[in-house]
Amino acid sequence: MATTTTTAPTTETTSIRAPRASRPGNLRKHIALIAFAVLMVYPLVWMVVSSFKPGNLVLSQPGLIPSEVTLENYRNGWGALGEPFSLFFANSLFLTVGSIVGNLFSCSLAAYALARLDFRGRRIYFGITLASVMLPMHVLVVPQYIFFSQLDLLNTYFPLLIPKFLATDAFFIFLMVQFIRTIPRELDQAAAIDGAGPFRTFWFVILPLMKPALVTTTIFTFIWTWNDFFTPLIYLTSVEVYTVPVALNTMVNAETQSGVGALFAMSLLSLAPILVFFAVAQKYLIRGIATTGLK
Amino acid sequence: MSAPTAPPSPALSGSSPPEPANRTTRRTPKWRRQGRAAHVFLIPWLLGLVLITAVPLLASLYLAFTDYNLLDPPTWTGLENFRRMGEDPRFWASAWVTLKYVLVSVPLQLAFALGLAIVLDRGIKGLALYRSVYYLPSLLGASVAIAILWRQLFGHDGLINSGLALLGIEGESWLQNPSTALSTLVVLNVWTFGSPMIIFLAGLRQIPEELYEAARVDGAGRWRQFLSITVPMLTPIIFFNLVLQTIGAFQSFTQAHIISGGRGGPLDSTLFYTLYLYQQGFVSFNMGYASAMAWALLVVIGIVTAIHFLLSKYWVFYGDN
Amino acid sequence: MDRRTFTRLIGAGAVTAAAAPLAACGRSASGSTEGAVRYAWWGDAVRKQNYEAALAIFSEENPDVTVRPEFADYGAFQERITVQMAGRNVPELFWIPSPQVLTYQAANLYRPLDDLDGFDLSDYPDDLLETFKLNGELNTMPRSIFTPCVRWNQTFLEEAGAELPAYDEANWTWDSLAEFLIDYSADNPQGRKGAAYCANSDMVFESWLRQHGSDLWTEDGTLGADPAALEGWFEWWERLRTAGAALELSEQEGADPEWPVVGEKVLMTLQNSNHIVDEAQQFPDYDFQQRMTPANPDATPGFRFGYLSRIAMYRETPDGSLEGAAKLLDFNLNDARMVAQTGLTVGAPANPRVLEEIRPDATADELKLLDLVDEEMQHEQRPRYEAPPGSGTWRDVMARTIEALALGNVDIPTAATQFTAEVTREIEAARR
Repeated sequence: MATTTTTAPTTETTSIRAPRASRPGNLRKHIALIAFAVLMVYPLVWMVVSSFKPGNLVLSQPGLIPSEVTLENYRNGWGALGEPFSLFFANSLFLTVGSIVGNLFSCSLAAYALARLDFRGRRIYFGITLASVMLPMHVLVVPQYIFFSQLDLLNTYFPLLIPKFLATDAFFIFLMVQFIRTIPRELDQAAAIDGAGPFRTFWFVILPLMKPALVTTTIFTFIWTWNDFFTPLIYLTSVEVYTVPVALNTMVNAETQSGVGALFAMSLLSLAPILVFFAVAQKYLIRGIATTGLK
Repeated sequence: MSAPTAPPSPALSGSSPPEPANRTTRRTPKWRRQGRAAHVFLIPWLLGLVLITAVPLLASLYLAFTDYNLLDPPTWTGLENFRRMGEDPRFWASAWVTLKYVLVSVPLQLAFALGLAIVLDRGIKGLALYRSVYYLPSLLGASVAIAILWRQLFGHDGLINSGLALLGIEGESWLQNPSTALSTLVVLNVWTFGSPMIIFLAGLRQIPEELYEAARVDGAGRWRQFLSITVPMLTPIIFFNLVLQTIGAFQSFTQAHIISGGRGGPLDSTLFYTLYLYQQGFVSFNMGYASAMAWALLVVIGIVTAIHFLLSKYWVFYGDN
Repeated sequence: MDRRTFTRLIGAGAVTAAAAPLAACGRSASGSTEGAVRYAWWGDAVRKQNYEAALAIFSEENPDVTVRPEFADYGAFQERITVQMAGRNVPELFWIPSPQVLTYQAANLYRPLDDLDGFDLSDYPDDLLETFKLNGELNTMPRSIFTPCVRWNQTFLEEAGAELPAYDEANWTWDSLAEFLIDYSADNPQGRKGAAYCANSDMVFESWLRQHGSDLWTEDGTLGADPAALEGWFEWWERLRTAGAALELSEQEGADPEWPVVGEKVLMTLQNSNHIVDEAQQFPDYDFQQRMTPANPDATPGFRFGYLSRIAMYRETPDGSLEGAAKLLDFNLNDARMVAQTGLTVGAPANPRVLEEIRPDATADELKLLDLVDEEMQHEQRPRYEAPPGSGTWRDVMARTIEALALGNVDIPTAATQFTAEVTREIEAARR
């Protein structure tokens, strides 16, 4: 069976390849990378500092060194909507995990068919997929809303989850198609010679080999769903089902800008899970895939 | 649309076997079997297309030829919306702003993303940390907090001007100056280069290590390996990023919406096309006009994407042919 | 094709294909279920907490009515309710954003309010009710009233040892105010400027127009701003700005000054009287005071006015929810406990009885608001008309005009002409 040759152990190859450290060039590289990193994260550092300032000083005394340090923003922000903020984390997490599962499932199936299988209309399908990425979502909102409201699914997570399970995020289909196309055809053909049909080839050959694309899809789906504002705002109307961005959006008073401190505090807390998730997920990009079956 | 032929990569031409020559003779039975299988794979997608994508897509196409204020039923006006676009100065202003943005920010962001992906691919300590730090801004890119952050950087009393003040230069708010406001959005877009960087990283991991080993055996140096293996093998991913970042830049909305408070100011200097479309649809209640704008954009993006695909024949290398 | 056919068409095919399995697992908590009352308002988290505390009192006394609050930030509120209206899935009770009053009216979204069981109008004298009507129909109610004002930082004023022009008809004029601001900016030891650049403050702008014999909106639903009055308004502000007495747009980050940015930079802002409640809290060390807008001696009589911010009931409120919605409306407008819980950030209560009941408990800043609204409303007022359909973007047009002016791209007469042309074009487009 093709699997044994293709999904070979992964970590070893990288560790053999990696150590090239402690050359003088590396120190310079590190200095440049660190300097660049400082530039990149300065705004975030400012945000962290500000989140510990008394609320009314965040904007009026914007320096990096606070004259007063307090946890009030975190306290106020956490309870600002009458529900503990953890509720919104839980809601967002549920929605995000659901979306990831949906996208991985539906998009990989579609992508495999579009990238590898020969059938009439393939190009048309691919064109439709691309076209649906091209139309700005704002003109689709109202018809979609009417659709889901006629199904009586407002104020539930279905309008947000169903599309993910039906491969409507064409971005990821395209992404996966591009990745599958970098996988040498010989592997499919080898599998076919071993008697594998399209389903086994997909499951045992292609899917393991497109792990980087799957990880990428996971990362992107996580972040986009976690940060999505407009769609949850439209579909979710009661506070108990709010997601983090919808909750964050209510923190600041539009007229006086008060509440910025609480906004910063809760934004930073909401960054934490994505950051942890990212730190874990990106390891899979380091490990990568060793396609030892090629030679 | 997809590019069936690409010039063989110099690195691969020696090592990979040629395509089986009997492909066409086997075609018919295989094709029939694969057609059935393909449609099974495509069931979720087809359902999504019929239920969720197609109807709104067609509805918006219909609305493009109507006057629809969201509250009353749409009335058919034929090509009126498109005619109106022609004489709407804000429409052209928004198209121009968007075009400038696409042309500047896409190459800039991709260059940053690709460069850093290659640096952060392997071989230095603290990879995970660097990657996470560089990715952080992307996580924040769409947050409401960005407006305040950007004012802290580029505002009248912001960091940049404080720096300039040390040099004795008195700066104005970069966000309130029509000739610099768009640049701050380009900076914001480049600042969030983490997303394409991740895709590049994933693409780099997809390159079979054997190719490098073979090249090393042949005595190729690192630069030569980069040019003859990394670049050609990465072209599908570069192409993907290019196509989708271009589409994304044409549709750029959230950041300008947040930073200019939905107005696209000052003096429409950050009035992106979709921001204007949104204003027309949701603020002025001209959803018919907004739909027409959306389809005009779709046509433009479609043409640009088609050009990308046509050109891709000359520089994108796929492992599958 | 009428609306229903249109919405049906969009849903139709899909619904029949998918409805059964999907609806089975969806909670039916979304649309307007019988007996429940959806109530939509805008504001920040603080306001949300206050309103829910008040609604808790209501729910305790009316256990048969299920209240479903739907709230969001002002911008998000408008996005959401727009989509809801397009989908004909509107909350039973909703606040109306000021530029949309007549737009929603034209779309027939309001239900008449004078025939409702459970909603009591006896607190309102007939002549007052008359002023609430739109085209002779009582289909919205004012939740609150606020007025245009001049607000200054008394602490700053004393620090500089300066004194405002006397608050009487002879001295409290636009000219004297301008001169004062120029003097203050030139002299004060802290290097502050006199005022933020508030030319985009809609209420004060409207006050200016009314003093100069024109209206912001006419009875016929057109822009009423007279070119001379419009130019005068721009001239007044540009004079201050070029004299260094009003902030540059750069200094206040845009045509709409943001309070935390300008609070320390200027002595004075010209804006809505209700904002004192929130804004004073942001600078607890300072004392803020406010007055009515200045007026020149030749001001057109009857120019004083208060803005009524409105609430409405959805026309297609199901019968089963009608009584609950009426009760909730009554509680919102006619129960002092509601106002006591929610505070006065939205302005003074429109119900005269409630106003008297809450006065003793008002905070010092709230009293400043109540007193100023009282003062303004005691004046004889000529009628005021709401913003017509299509005018929803007029403040954006104003902001662009101000930007062009302050950047020196256009002269004042051109700016005035362009403003008028653009606003008029939008209104006419909406009329087609």
